Amino acid sequence: MLSLQHISKYYQVGGNKNIILNNISLEVDEGEFISIMGPSGSGKSTLLNIIGMLDEPNEGYHYFMGQAVHQLKEKQRSALYKRYIGFVFQAYHLIDELTVYENIETPLIYQDVKGSERKAMVADMLDRFQIVGKKDLFPAQLSGGQQQLVGIARALIASPKLILADEPTGNLNSKQGEDIMELFRKLNKEDGVTIIQVTHSEKNAEYGTRIINLLDGKIESSRKF
Amino acid sequence: MIRNYLKIAWRNMLRNKVYSVLNVVGLAAGMAVALLIGLWVAQQYAYDRFLPNYKNLYQVKFNFTDPHDGEHTQPAVCLPLANVLRTTVPGIKRVAETGWVGFNVRNLRVGDKKLLPASGDVDPGFLKIFQYPFVKGDRNTALKDVYSIVIDESTAKALFGNDDPMYKTIRVDNQHDVKVTGVFKDIPATASLKFSSLLPFSYKRLTEPWMKNAYNEWGNNSFEMYVELQNGITYEQIAPKIKDLLIKYQPDYKRAKGEVIFQPVKDQHLYSDYKNGKAVGGLIDYVRMFSLIGALVLLIACINFMNLSTARSEKRAREVGVRKAIGSQRRDLIFQFLTESLMITFAAFLFSILLVQLVLGPFNALTGSTISIPYGSLIFWGIMIGYVALTGLLAGSRPAFYLSSFNPVKVLKGTIQVGKAASLPRRILVVVQFSCSVSLIISTVIIYQQIQYVKDRPVGYNRDRLASTFMSDDLMHGYDALKNELLASRMVESVTKASSPLTNIFWHTGIDKWPGQNAGEQGINIAGITVTDNYFKTVGMKLIEGRDFSPDWASDTTSVIINEAAAKRMGLKEPVNQLIDYAGMKKQRIIGVVQDALMESPYTPAEPTVFNHGRGPNIMIYRLAAGVDPHAAMEKIGKIFDKYNPAYPFDYVFVDDAYNQKFNFETLIGKLAGIFAALAIFISCLGLFGLAAYVAEQRTKEIGIRKVLGASIANVWMLLSKDFLVLVLISCVIASPVALYFLEPWLKKYDYHINIGPGVFLFSAIAAIIITVLTVSFQAIKAALANPVSSLRSE
Repeated sequence: MLSLQHISKYYQVGGNKNIILNNISLEVDEGEFISIMGPSGSGKSTLLNIIGMLDEPNEGYHYFMGQAVHQLKEKQRSALYKRYIGFVFQAYHLIDELTVYENIETPLIYQDVKGSERKAMVADMLDRFQIVGKKDLFPAQLSGGQQQLVGIARALIASPKLILADEPTGNLNSKQGEDIMELFRKLNKEDGVTIIQVTHSEKNAEYGTRIINLLDGKIESSRKF
Repeated sequence: MIRNYLKIAWRNMLRNKVYSVLNVVGLAAGMAVALLIGLWVAQQYAYDRFLPNYKNLYQVKFNFTDPHDGEHTQPAVCLPLANVLRTTVPGIKRVAETGWVGFNVRNLRVGDKKLLPASGDVDPGFLKIFQYPFVKGDRNTALKDVYSIVIDESTAKALFGNDDPMYKTIRVDNQHDVKVTGVFKDIPATASLKFSSLLPFSYKRLTEPWMKNAYNEWGNNSFEMYVELQNGITYEQIAPKIKDLLIKYQPDYKRAKGEVIFQPVKDQHLYSDYKNGKAVGGLIDYVRMFSLIGALVLLIACINFMNLSTARSEKRAREVGVRKAIGSQRRDLIFQFLTESLMITFAAFLFSILLVQLVLGPFNALTGSTISIPYGSLIFWGIMIGYVALTGLLAGSRPAFYLSSFNPVKVLKGTIQVGKAASLPRRILVVVQFSCSVSLIISTVIIYQQIQYVKDRPVGYNRDRLASTFMSDDLMHGYDALKNELLASRMVESVTKASSPLTNIFWHTGIDKWPGQNAGEQGINIAGITVTDNYFKTVGMKLIEGRDFSPDWASDTTSVIINEAAAKRMGLKEPVNQLIDYAGMKKQRIIGVVQDALMESPYTPAEPTVFNHGRGPNIMIYRLAAGVDPHAAMEKIGKIFDKYNPAYPFDYVFVDDAYNQKFNFETLIGKLAGIFAALAIFISCLGLFGLAAYVAEQRTKEIGIRKVLGASIANVWMLLSKDFLVLVLISCVIASPVALYFLEPWLKKYDYHINIGPGVFLFSAIAAIIITVLTVSFQAIKAALANPVSSLRSE
């Protein structure tokens, strides 16, 4: 479903090139659950952002769902990404001024889903994550684990084919982290959602079907289970 | 989607109460100012447009280009022109000659009810040219009869109560009875001709003997005249046909290049200043000036909004990042932020309507206007929707484009310090704001200085306790007895009569010959005033040379007294005993020279004036005795007047009031400029207050560290205030030449004006700096007093 070929990303700092990603090539098939690991500064998040089209590489080719992303215009890219990709952040990044319900609903608004349909979909999602009782609370009134649950619910609401998670458990305790990972595994196995996560934790990485190790912007190793 | 946006906007407003209040209040004040000015401007443009045929209406004017006295345009015209226009110029539908509609006052009496309403004497065609709505009677026939009158509803009510006024009798000026043949609606405030009653022009001819031959006198320019052009005829088509009519029928006008021109009635209110026979300015200059001020104050308010919004962007940046990450396009975000600013603008608009409603009364009283908010007008609401939308977009566009441009990856990671990037544009905007405000302060100060300077100018006579009364025929007959009784009452110190009051000159004439006149040199235009005994003593004008008129009427029939300006204009070194030809009278002897007095505009030099001695003048001038209470005195004097003048109500003017009225316009402009300057500064300070709070918040940690390292409160205060002071100083430097650019031409319009010195700029700069320091210090000191431990711990 996804193919990166010879992707490089660098910043010009003074006269020096600060290389973040160095000639990375990567194929991802539908139904995979990939964990990206590596020390700080190895380019994990940048890679994830490029896959998620939040960031653009300086060089290389990027294909997603059969389309050449590097040739698309901003608008088409946005359309493609709205349809297929959901994002989960380490810091949850819920909108503070919106309730749980409204946070989950927002992506649907951007996809012009009708009001009645939205209602049904959000209700469904609240049900599935068992947070119906919390739907009118604001993010500040929730624990970190609950906030991340809402974050994932928001990422899933538009039924994406691919979930990108940037250290989804980084701000959570180990019990909460395990719950989230179990949820990811279930999504991957039962719903066939492709997941790519960035993580520091060996244990969380093992929930995946493949582990990719990055070092200094290069793929150091790739293991499949 | 909009619901979602509105919800966010609403919750954001609630969460940041201080910012919201600053935003809404600032914007509301700005919008109120612009709305108020807009209503005023709209009213000025609405003058006379209610007349159904206003596009075809013109007033006849004469334009002269005299080689010696310069060029001027006057509304006073001569009567024979009326018939020439009627019969020889195709394209003119109607002509109406009038006797100063609205300036004349007629005494109307029914039983014991006496009124002195503004009146006019008009040709019957006037009612068809000016189609003021009639309530009763027929405009086509109303003024055909000599002894007829039309009155407005208020006058009808005052004279006849609830009775039907039609065909009832009114006594006019205690001379003739006339019949009411029509009642018209009270003239609206937006009419440039305002009057309460009209008499036929034939009545004027019948009752005023001097008019006997007026229809043959091409030199008797004592009337006003209006015309209506036929539909589809433009002034451009008519102009060449009328231009030379004066010279054609009266070759004497060749010397002064007399020309006939028409001025559109719809322009009369706005354009009163003529240059080279073209209306070039007048009230329109002030309408434009205040439109500009309104726009500036609104701009200042919008800048507040922009600055506060972008300063607060740090708090919104994460939201932008998240929204982009979950599928929002930049377009959506721009739309969202514009929705927000429109919502705030709408809230501000509601407040501004409330504000305008509150200040409308005082504003009308101050400006002498009658504006109101036209709540029932669809057009008004249509314009208001546009106004809110435009203001919202103006204020919201910069925040919308700025905020929506954030890169989601960076803001979510917190790697860029948003808000800081916008600080240069923000500074520029603050400078723009303060430049406008300081320019307004400078302008206000200069306008006030000019008014004060002219008010303090010596006028050449003494205004204290001096009053004047126009005399009716009855008063003229009983003048000597009245005078004696007034003096005997000890309420009055001195009494005299003159043909002009002290604050106006009613007659201009010429000196045709004088000693030392160059061969071929033409006559001199001068003011001519006829006075009785005691004139100079009563009004307090000093004789410099020669003597006063003697009380015995025989000796001074061919004597005149001139003022200094007249002596100077003729170039006479020793004027006393010289002979001049004056107003068609040959060999008048100059017996005295009197000090110059300002009788017309206080801004121009005194006019050359010749006084002669006569019994005829009908304006009584008297000075109340020193030490009496003026109001009590007037009450007592009134009773004496009533005895000699039973048909008229007692009517008088204090010369000091009449003199001060000459400054009404300038004082008004000064007051308005002052109010708007204060508002502009207030709104700018609201913005500054918000920005200072933001900067203090952003630098909390830095301030904490500095305090731990030993910085005093004064140090921190300086640190935070300095930046803003620099901006305000830059604004002062920019504002000074800008204000100068606008005010120098304004001052040049007055012959007698101040010279702008550096003081006013220094004063304004110091005022602006003090205001800035006060505004910013609140936040700076608050930040400086905070305990550094708490700010550092939170890191």
